[in-house]
Amino acid sequence: MKHESVPIYWRNIPHYYRLVAKRCKKCGAVYFPPVIKCRCGSKELEDFELPHEGKLVEFTVLYQVGTDFLKQKPLVIGLVELSNGVKVVGQIVDVQPEKLTQGAKVEAVFRRVMVDGKYGLVMYGYKFRPVDGV
Amino acid sequence: MRDVYIVGGALYPAGRHYGKNIDDMAAEVLDKALAEAKTDIEAVFIASSTAELANKQQILGAYVLESLGLDKIPVFRIEDGDGSGGAAIALAHHVLKSEEYNCVAVVGVDKPNDVLSNQQQDIYATTLDTYFERYFGITPLAYAALMAKVYLRKYEYRYEELAQWAVLMHKHGANNPYAYLRRQIKIEDAINSELVSEPLRLYDIGPLADGAAAAVLCNNKKDGPRILSASVSTNAIPFNLRQDYDTLYSAQEAAKKALEKAKVTPRDIATAEVHDSFSIFGILALESLGFVKRGGALAAIREGDLPINLSGGLKSRGNILGATGVYQLVEVAWQLIGREFKRVDGDYGLVHNMGGVDRVSTVVVVGV
Ligand SMILES: [Zn+2]
Repeated sequence: MKHESVPIYWRNIPHYYRLVAKRCKKCGAVYFPPVIKCRCGSKELEDFELPHEGKLVEFTVLYQVGTDFLKQKPLVIGLVELSNGVKVVGQIVDVQPEKLTQGAKVEAVFRRVMVDGKYGLVMYGYKFRPVDGV
Repeated sequence: MRDVYIVGGALYPAGRHYGKNIDDMAAEVLDKALAEAKTDIEAVFIASSTAELANKQQILGAYVLESLGLDKIPVFRIEDGDGSGGAAIALAHHVLKSEEYNCVAVVGVDKPNDVLSNQQQDIYATTLDTYFERYFGITPLAYAALMAKVYLRKYEYRYEELAQWAVLMHKHGANNPYAYLRRQIKIEDAINSELVSEPLRLYDIGPLADGAAAAVLCNNKKDGPRILSASVSTNAIPFNLRQDYDTLYSAQEAAKKALEKAKVTPRDIATAEVHDSFSIFGILALESLGFVKRGGALAAIREGDLPINLSGGLKSRGNILGATGVYQLVEVAWQLIGREFKRVDGDYGLVHNMGGVDRVSTVVVVGV
């Protein structure tokens, strides 16, 4: 693999596949990416699956990309506010960028992120797509 | 505690230096700075962001010293992405204040043009969270674009007003003999340049350049401009969970501390070099550092030629990644004494160097 070793990918699978965050048992704060200590001082954090629906707060169409993403160019990168108020940044897919608007309802989907050119290993993760389609 | 002075400095012209190795470029500027300082040094702090990734070199400091035949001196490598140089300066300053050493050198070097431009994108993206941002194809440029969009919308500016940043930087950079892109441009050049991550265009990006800079700092010689303070702050909030997208929190906090320690206000600053790796960051830095009010930076540029980034900034001088902060320090020092730049009217200068997208910032206050 060019940039991502297999162990790195495997240990992040719960986060990549199911949007698993960490929630503080004491104060309820939610962390995505996950952390090991809450800002309230507590280390009692539990796995917490984020809602899969939300709305698009802001987005950009990215034309200058790294080597792993050349075939997918351009990428639409969006800041999504999930239904519980937690924000996540991710790729917005299945869209015509020029028709995409702020505030669009989106849902998390499970997609291929990249394919390693050398060994053909496919890596997956969350992306978002407009619910009503554009 | 004794004061810290910049007793020697040297810059390598930013550009594409295919014929040089990274350690040799660093050694050349260090040798020049040492010749000017006329002193021995007791330690070297070397800042580089991409030596391993772009040039396949670790323990870089030892090879720099080898090039100069300098034996037995301790070397410390500092890496904070494109904020490495500022961090190295702050650390060197703290060590000299503690009087563990009397004279040290800070060297910044990076040589991104040893790899192809797509690989440069991969390398620069490692300044983001590699598991949750870079993995998905997100780059610093994409985040800069999102922040630019939020800013333009919130304060009701048009993109054409943001493009003024590039025009101003090129105007300043045209007078800098060490700048990478040393020519003036028209607003149309910026507006018509290639769209890279909307709303940002090619001219909103500080081009990555090869370069090296060195400064010799001493607490026992009162030659040259004085470092009044150097503060570093990190921002530990991930991009997706930020409170707002038009503040550089790391810059704001580092500036607050550095200005307090130096006992100066933003109004006392005659010249500042700020980290405009993307035009929007230059704008947000002006506001976060306290030079203009929130939302007022583009209006301030419209109304007058600000003494900001007289070097041309990262846009025109070039983004020399981990060396940038050391370039900025030497540039501000030289602007204050009128060396290789027009002398600024005032006694205080400020350096703002940032790593990644508001992850870490160093603010240094210099006085004469
Ligand atoms: Zn908590």
